[in-house]
Amino acid sequence: MSHAFYLWMSYGATAIAVIVEIAALRARRARALRMIEEERDIEAED
Amino acid sequence: MNWFYFSSPATFYRLAGAMAPWFFALAAILAGIGLYFGFVVAPTDAQQGEVYRIIFIHVPAAWISMFLYLVMASYGAMSLTFNTRLAAMMARAIAPTGAMFTFVALWTGAFWGRPTWGTYWVWDARITSELVLLFLYLGFIALANAFEDPRRGDRAGAILSLIGVVNLPIIYFSVQWWNTLHQGSSVSLRGTSMHAAMLTGMMVMALAFWMYSIATSLVRVRAVILERERRSAWVRQLR
Repeated sequence: MSHAFYLWMSYGATAIAVIVEIAALRARRARALRMIEEERDIEAED
Repeated sequence: MNWFYFSSPATFYRLAGAMAPWFFALAAILAGIGLYFGFVVAPTDAQQGEVYRIIFIHVPAAWISMFLYLVMASYGAMSLTFNTRLAAMMARAIAPTGAMFTFVALWTGAFWGRPTWGTYWVWDARITSELVLLFLYLGFIALANAFEDPRRGDRAGAILSLIGVVNLPIIYFSVQWWNTLHQGSSVSLRGTSMHAAMLTGMMVMALAFWMYSIATSLVRVRAVILERERRSAWVRQLR
């Protein structure tokens, strides 16, 4: 196996890990905001 | 300056929102400089060839994985001692990034090990104790989220994180205490055996990872604050 394979498997995996983490962060924030919005709607209905 | 002002989740939420983009920008700039040094300025290693360039992510990721654990445990200790909500939220916010860097350190170490040692994995003290660090992060995340009452989860997580601190000197000194396949430290307070360009690239990448960790922790703590404080008046007023 050429050295390029090991090098790019390392850098590629790191890039994917960073992208996944940022996507998870955005999803978590969106979920939290949606939860607040839903509770607000339920309160307004009451 | 009244520091207690920023220990309130409501004020810290806004401060974190203002600071996070700057830390993301700093991380991107530093990563650009670090990769330039790593791939353009630093010479090819005489023994390992090009594959040694994995160190520009492997070593900083390993350093940051240990450093973040120490910071997370410090926040845990703070939350246990002073019963502060924000400290516990910060510990929760740091853990996933710490786990990510521990995984990156192990993964890149495996892809460095194969061409240089002839194997992806070996149960030596340095690598095994770094794997224990990953399990400690995952254990902290699982335990902190295992309780209906988040304050109980905070306390349980803080105790686990404090117990796990004992693993940090084991990771650091493992290459001295045991006869390991993993090489000893090339950088210490007494000096380095590395080429200046290699050292610069590694240090700049470590700084980039540090800035990235601060940025992601700030963004995540904002989400944790929203989840935990969603019934408070100031969150209800957010648009």
